[in-house]
Amino acid sequence: QEFQFGPCQVDGIVLQKLWQAFWAMKDIVQAQDNITSVRLLRKEVLQNVSETESCHLLHALLRFYVNTVFKNYHDKAVEFGILKSFSTLANNFFVIVSKLQASQEKMFSTRESARRRFLLFYRAFKQLDREAAVTKAFGEMDILLRWMEKFNQL
Amino acid sequence: DGVAVLPAPQNLSMQSTNMKHVLTWSPVIVPEEIIRYSVEYQGEYESLYTSHIWIPSSWCSPTQRPECDITEDITATVSYSLRVRATLGSLTSAWSTLKHRFNQNSTILTPPGMEITMDGFHLLIKLEDLGPHFEFFVFYWRREPGAKEHVKVVRPGVLPVYLETVEPGAAYCVKARTFVKAIGRHSAFSRTECVKVQGEALPL
Repeated sequence: QEFQFGPCQVDGIVLQKLWQAFWAMKDIVQAQDNITSVRLLRKEVLQNVSETESCHLLHALLRFYVNTVFKNYHDKAVEFGILKSFSTLANNFFVIVSKLQASQEKMFSTRESARRRFLLFYRAFKQLDREAAVTKAFGEMDILLRWMEKFNQL
Repeated sequence: DGVAVLPAPQNLSMQSTNMKHVLTWSPVIVPEEIIRYSVEYQGEYESLYTSHIWIPSSWCSPTQRPECDITEDITATVSYSLRVRATLGSLTSAWSTLKHRFNQNSTILTPPGMEITMDGFHLLIKLEDLGPHFEFFVFYWRREPGAKEHVKVVRPGVLPVYLETVEPGAAYCVKARTFVKAIGRHSAFSRTECVKVQGEALPL
């Protein structure tokens, strides 16, 4: 499929494969998240995002997922036997980050507002115990996938 | 078993056609013994962030055949490392790693097989089923000077496809090619096929 995040275009991502990977591990992953009163990817982070903001915001979020969330969840993925699903999501997020990287660097207009949104997510992440935060963020990937779906150019 | 050390599989090679990816290697031969093989893979993410971790392939951990269909394991358009080792009882060989990393965007795309049929005055096309990755771009036109070329995009699994209502006595031609969104590439065109419609041409 082809995604258009404002001026940033991402193709070669089959979102259905990402969904299948997430569904395959959803129950086991979300069962580990005991803090049900907190949501990292809450409305203020993802709602009413302008087209141009979306490129910056997605780049910041996915880079955080690749560099921090996946990295710190990896041992659990081995433990739970969900390496295949983990690999599918990690490698596809890796592709998206690299495709967004170039184009989002050339845009300055909405970078600050996108950064404020990311910081809402990041501060909520930092307020939790490290392992709990990584588990919660990993379990919230469906929120991220659903948000990305809206930018799919059918 | 009389085998001190089991040799590692040699001559690893990837054959990828129409998004079907098969890893092959030379069999390890130990007379009167059954050798099993295990295949593992790493995507670009694993190579960069967790290089000590390899993931067993879906269908070949283990297998007795010197080949492995890894199509289901390749789930992103990144470069993958692949490795194989042999096992005989408690003996295991060293790993052999594919020399060049594999990316699905290098798959060979062949022109699609197609069959043109008529149902009354309806021109239909039946296309080769190549799996969920494939869309088809079908080009068709009436064979006469200055005729306009039409194109129809056919999603996977839709067969046969209605193209056009034709006129008696006229001739129509069709060609097609595939498109794979995951890698953003087209195949070459199929051969052009033409059909002549029965009956007298309508008076002008």
